[in-house]
Amino acid sequence: MSNFLYLFRGGDDAFDKLSQEEKQAHMEVWGEWMGGLQEQGKLIDGLPLDKDGKVVHDRGEVVTNGPYAEGAEMVGGYLIVKAKNMEEAVEISKGCPIFDYEGSFVEVREILTMEP
Amino acid sequence: MVEENKVNHTVEHLFRSEYGKVVSILTHKYGTAHLEQIEDVAQEAFIKAMQVWAYKSIPDNPTGWLYMVANNSLLDHLRRDQKIAFQETENLNILSEGEKIVDLVLDDTITDSQLQMIFACCHPSLSKEYQIVLSLKLIGGFSNKELADALLKKEEAVAKSFTRAKKKFRDDVKMLKIPVEMGLQSRLFQVLQVIYLMFSEGYAVTSGSQMIKKDICYEALRLALLLRENKYCRHPNLEALIALMCFHASRFDARIDEKGELVTLEHHDRTKYDQNLIRIGIGHLENAGTKDRMPSNYHLEAARSFYHSTANDFASTDWGNVLYLYDVQLKMHYSPILALNRLVAYKKVKGAVKTMEELLVLEQKTDFKDTELYYAVKAEILSQLQQPEAQKEVLKKAISLCGNMVVKKHYEKKLALIK
Repeated sequence: MSNFLYLFRGGDDAFDKLSQEEKQAHMEVWGEWMGGLQEQGKLIDGLPLDKDGKVVHDRGEVVTNGPYAEGAEMVGGYLIVKAKNMEEAVEISKGCPIFDYEGSFVEVREILTMEP
Repeated sequence: MVEENKVNHTVEHLFRSEYGKVVSILTHKYGTAHLEQIEDVAQEAFIKAMQVWAYKSIPDNPTGWLYMVANNSLLDHLRRDQKIAFQETENLNILSEGEKIVDLVLDDTITDSQLQMIFACCHPSLSKEYQIVLSLKLIGGFSNKELADALLKKEEAVAKSFTRAKKKFRDDVKMLKIPVEMGLQSRLFQVLQVIYLMFSEGYAVTSGSQMIKKDICYEALRLALLLRENKYCRHPNLEALIALMCFHASRFDARIDEKGELVTLEHHDRTKYDQNLIRIGIGHLENAGTKDRMPSNYHLEAARSFYHSTANDFASTDWGNVLYLYDVQLKMHYSPILALNRLVAYKKVKGAVKTMEELLVLEQKTDFKDTELYYAVKAEILSQLQQPEAQKEVLKKAISLCGNMVVKKHYEKKLALIK
């Protein structure tokens, strides 16, 4: 068993365009999906990230506002999920409601541990 | 399936009901001068909620959560603008203690600030149009687009009217308070009138979004029920208004068929009437007794609506009593439109020939040349008198005057059926 980090990238434009009702409906869908992971004991942690942030270069000589990467690839949130291996982690990520937003994708990365 | 719909229903209405609460509490606390910022932070709080709640879960006290987030970001804005002194901010900052949420956002505070908001939105210095748009936007949480869809206006027109209304609101309505004792009754009557007009806007049969129109009706009903929470606002007229809205709203779904076409009272499928609302309405009507036994227009309209909502069908409606209620109301407050409406009941009781005579009398009193209702009523009488040619003429006149697509289509269908 390993922990995997999901980075949700993109889809902000699509989210912003939703009406209040649609945002709420989508929130419910997310809640259901995450609730399912939790019940299976697969969910470790996760939260959305604020749009505003800073980028620090050269030991703080240069501090800039975003964008951090190309706009469409901004990280909107993260999850830490427990899975047997990368294959399972990818399989789990396929059910993520983030795919409802056009232009969004999930980056799946294994979190390395001290365990040999 | 039924359960599922119920869940969606709650989610759909979360924004509308909570938005008004948050805006009311903040406006109550910081005054109307910061209204624009208050709206901004309330909306931001909702966007944040939709993101964070998706990852975690809906908090036990969503109002408290939204209020805290909006309040904190409002304080940030205000500090940045240096509009309030440092000391003051410090005092206000006590609120950011998480444990205080529950104490702070007590139901009483919410109800009180919402009530104050209702009175503020219905301030006598504002026009009726402004009063309605402010109430729907600030308390009801309706978006410009929703109001435009429901009221068949352009989105920019709604936005413009709201901006102008807000300016007047900020300039003229500085304090949010419920007028006490002296003056309360006259202010209350104005609030009732705004609620009545709001309800009528929502209840009007148009091709606009039926779901949102129904929400406007329920919002009017919700505000009226909120008023009841304050003992000074309890009044027989309020009870009658609530009853009236319940009876009318009970027929909401029966008025338009699957094709989106108008169904007149005569052809309503009465199994579609909401029996629950009718029961609630009866309860309020029983509560609406006045000491001087002088009924208001709300009483009389509620009573008429009661007869329509509880009759088994059009024919067995108690037309005698309906007619009597019209007569009483006309004697108290004469209105030519009401007099025309009365003829529908009059025809059921006295027949078409006598009704035509009554109509001729009315014509002498008022110029109905441009009144659509006049031609619609006349067409019904002529139909029963079997004068197809004359009926065609007046129906055409009604069609030319009618600005409502749903009603217009209904007239056209009638015209096509005349042999």
